[in-house]
Amino acid sequence: MTKRPLELIKGTLDVLILKTLSAGALHGYGISRSLRDTTQNDFDVEEGALYPALRRLEKRGYVESEWGVTDTGREAKFYRLTPAGRAELESSVQAWHRYVRAMARVLGSPAAGG
Amino acid sequence: MSGGRPRAGSVFGRGSPREDVEREIRAHIALRAEELEEAGWSPREALEEAERLFGDRASIAEECRRVTERHDRSVRRAKMWGSFMHDVKYALRALARSPGFTLAGVLTLAIGIGANAAIFSVVYGVLLKPLPYDEPEALVQLFELRNDGGTMSVAWRNFTDWDEGLESFGGLAAYNSGPTTVLGGDLPLNVRVATVSRDFWDVFRVVPVRGRLTGPEDHTPEAAPVLVIGQRLWESEFGGRPLDEITLEVGSARARVVGVVPAGFDFPDGSELWGQAEPFGNTSRTSHNWRVVGRLDAGTSIDVAEQEADALTKVIVQDEPDADPAFIAAGATAVTLRERMVGSSRTPLVLLFGAAALVLLVACTNLASTLLARGTTRARELEIRSSLGAGRGRIVRQLLTEGLVLALLGGTAGVALAVGLTRALRALGPEGLPRIDDVGVNGVVLLFAAGIAVVSTLAFGLFPALRLTRASSGGALRSGTRGNTVDPRGPVWRLLVGIEVALALVLLAGSGLLVRSFQQLMSEDLGFDGRDVATAPVALSRIKYETDHDHARLYGELLAELEAHPAVLSAGLMSTLPASGSLPNYLMELDGDLSRTTVGGYVVASAGAFDALDIPLLRGRHFDDRDGPDDAHVAIVSEGFAEATWPGEDPIGRQVTGGGMDNFWEERRFAEVVGVVGDVRVRDLAAEPYPTVYFPYTQRPFRIQFGAQVVAEASAGDAASVVGPLRETIRRVDPDVPVRVVLQREVVDSALASRRFMMMLLGGFSVVCLLLACVGIYGVVAYSVARRTREMGIRVALGADPSSVGRMVVGSSMRLVVGGVVVGIAGAVFATRLLRGLLYEVQPGDPLTLAGVTLVLVATALLASWIPARAGTRTDPMVTMRAE
Repeated sequence: MTKRPLELIKGTLDVLILKTLSAGALHGYGISRSLRDTTQNDFDVEEGALYPALRRLEKRGYVESEWGVTDTGREAKFYRLTPAGRAELESSVQAWHRYVRAMARVLGSPAAGG
Repeated sequence: MSGGRPRAGSVFGRGSPREDVEREIRAHIALRAEELEEAGWSPREALEEAERLFGDRASIAEECRRVTERHDRSVRRAKMWGSFMHDVKYALRALARSPGFTLAGVLTLAIGIGANAAIFSVVYGVLLKPLPYDEPEALVQLFELRNDGGTMSVAWRNFTDWDEGLESFGGLAAYNSGPTTVLGGDLPLNVRVATVSRDFWDVFRVVPVRGRLTGPEDHTPEAAPVLVIGQRLWESEFGGRPLDEITLEVGSARARVVGVVPAGFDFPDGSELWGQAEPFGNTSRTSHNWRVVGRLDAGTSIDVAEQEADALTKVIVQDEPDADPAFIAAGATAVTLRERMVGSSRTPLVLLFGAAALVLLVACTNLASTLLARGTTRARELEIRSSLGAGRGRIVRQLLTEGLVLALLGGTAGVALAVGLTRALRALGPEGLPRIDDVGVNGVVLLFAAGIAVVSTLAFGLFPALRLTRASSGGALRSGTRGNTVDPRGPVWRLLVGIEVALALVLLAGSGLLVRSFQQLMSEDLGFDGRDVATAPVALSRIKYETDHDHARLYGELLAELEAHPAVLSAGLMSTLPASGSLPNYLMELDGDLSRTTVGGYVVASAGAFDALDIPLLRGRHFDDRDGPDDAHVAIVSEGFAEATWPGEDPIGRQVTGGGMDNFWEERRFAEVVGVVGDVRVRDLAAEPYPTVYFPYTQRPFRIQFGAQVVAEASAGDAASVVGPLRETIRRVDPDVPVRVVLQREVVDSALASRRFMMMLLGGFSVVCLLLACVGIYGVVAYSVARRTREMGIRVALGADPSSVGRMVVGSSMRLVVGGVVVGIAGAVFATRLLRGLLYEVQPGDPLTLAGVTLVLVATALLASWIPARAGTRTDPMVTMRAE
């Protein structure tokens, strides 16, 4: 199956990060890998693009960070969702579902369009 | 692999944001490379691939930093705002705690700012705001130069030569205007009608709102008369009805209205109708009936234009070598239209502005001294704050915030005051003040008010703030008793109040001089008594009354009816009324010899007018029945004319003929002088009477075709009692005459209006200034009394006479007043020279005036210091002692 990589819609990355962190604290690379695994490379995004987004989320108070060490003994900065981040995630997820439903209604279901 | 844990109290503390980002990126790449190595990549390739996958390191790091900085900035801003709002809240609380001080401060500022904003609104509206025309700075007025260096209006032929010859102008237009009877509306109207030459509309770049403007085809001597109407008149008198339904009788012409110009355009002098000038053009170079305005070509300076016009004029007048040198142009001069319109108002307005600035200065001085005084009571509070760790800067900022809050309150009150004052100024302002109707509190004025509010509070709030914070380190906390400490603020405060006294004296001296001038002028014999006289400007239709003798006949009928009316003691007419402001003057030929000439004022009159206005007949007789149109012509001359023309000789029986208008239309015919009347001030009440010749309207009616002033003296002595009879009689004689009756008293009043305006404003400012200075004196005395109550209590307890203690306090404040007065007198002698042009028979620095205002000031100051001194010495000494 040949798939064209999707360009990230503005703001999407923030939601993806929040979702990833909802399972527990992760360092930057961990988030990156988790995203890679779960989206199966659907999105065309440089790994580095993550970091400005993380900074933004941190300044908004959705995540907090702390330096620590990985299992392999390397230093890394760990990120954790704050209660505000959790609330933001919930409302973003709802908004996304509404958005997707609305788009699907207009464009037809993925099966029909297949 | 992605596991691990953050550790609390990490040894890797937070570095700078930049280092933090770099470190995180390095960590990411290392972890990525590690994973790739596990998948079998060589270490070097793994590292390279990890870096490639990461993307552009530099730009990502940069973006991270930007996100961080933007955020930090907004946090900082919020923090600063929060601290400012805290200061504001604190300031409001502090101000609310001492409502007396706050009220005094706000009122003081409001007066200073209100006065300044109001005067500024007039200065701006009259002097600074651009004229309401397209590119108004290119509009220039041209005048002929007299051989004595004065300017005069322009002769038609000179205008046409200029129009053809001058290259500096994109367009040049001649115009004049006058109040004229206009028939064709629902009622007969008297409106200002302008006659303008061909390029007038081009020069002003007017766009009609309806119809068309007059064009080249209309501006020929033979063209059918047409009119352009002002929007306001069109709407108010003609209900905005279609133009082809409007035909007006103006002067001797029936004219169609072809277009409407916007309501804002009323050049010249508030005109409402514009007709063609060309039919009135003539070939004379010595009848100066026109004013000329032009639009400079882009890039041409007014100096170049003036030189060109001057040079051309000197050439063209050479074709009339025999013309009287007093009446032919010696050159030309140019002045910007703006300067021409507002120039004469500049000096008085700038002076008033200066006076308002002095008021502000005194108000601010008061504010500064009040802030200082307040500092005394707050010294402890400041001390506590500073010992709790507030830096000096922090405290100064707090005090300044307090000042700004005060400025805001005072400024708001000041603007409210300015709105009221401006309205009053507009109502009081003399008619002569150009563009006064445009004056109002607008954005520019608000900006100005805000500016002076902020500047004055900063300037006058910073000083006490700095002083206080310095003084507060002295140790108010330690001094349990206030009674014996030496207060460092005393001398500064006394100096400030001394300055106030000096400034108040300068203003008082200025307004005192104006009051004296006004008194002198009022006591001057103007040569007539119009207190019991009502007047009506009358202009008859020149269609209904064809010849000038028809006009004379109707006026004869009107005057006869008036004289027969029981309410009327005497009635008459004059072409120009005393005190009305302008008097036409012409060349007068003398003694039957056309080459013997002099210059004199030219008035057409009836005998009754001299009686009504109580202008005394000094010799000979008045005009009477013997002076019919077919009888030998006669004239009456003013005393001044007789003395100047025939010094030491008997003027009766000499011969004179009015130059000017009559001579263009009739053969030159000498009139015999039959009487001499007293001199009358017509043009300027403050100027010597102008030598004048009077001709009977029955013999020389040409002038009255364009209107005359009908005067009626009341038998009852009250001018108002003839207003009704005058109006009814005019209506009865000819219902088509628009009637407007004014009292001669009002004519005199309006001639004095600008003097009165100036006098009242300056007087108002100086009274305000005096009051503010007194508040300052009161404050300084009350303060020193409060500081010395203990001492005074002891003195009184030891048997001193309370009144002697009071005298001591008052004496000390009077030393301060005397110091201020000495400086003030020196200042006044210098500053009142600026008033020279506004004074009448009193010199700047007039000792009597200075002595008078000094007396007033010292007396008021004495009162202002006596009141708090008395209150202080009345305090029971025991109460004072116990309070400590």
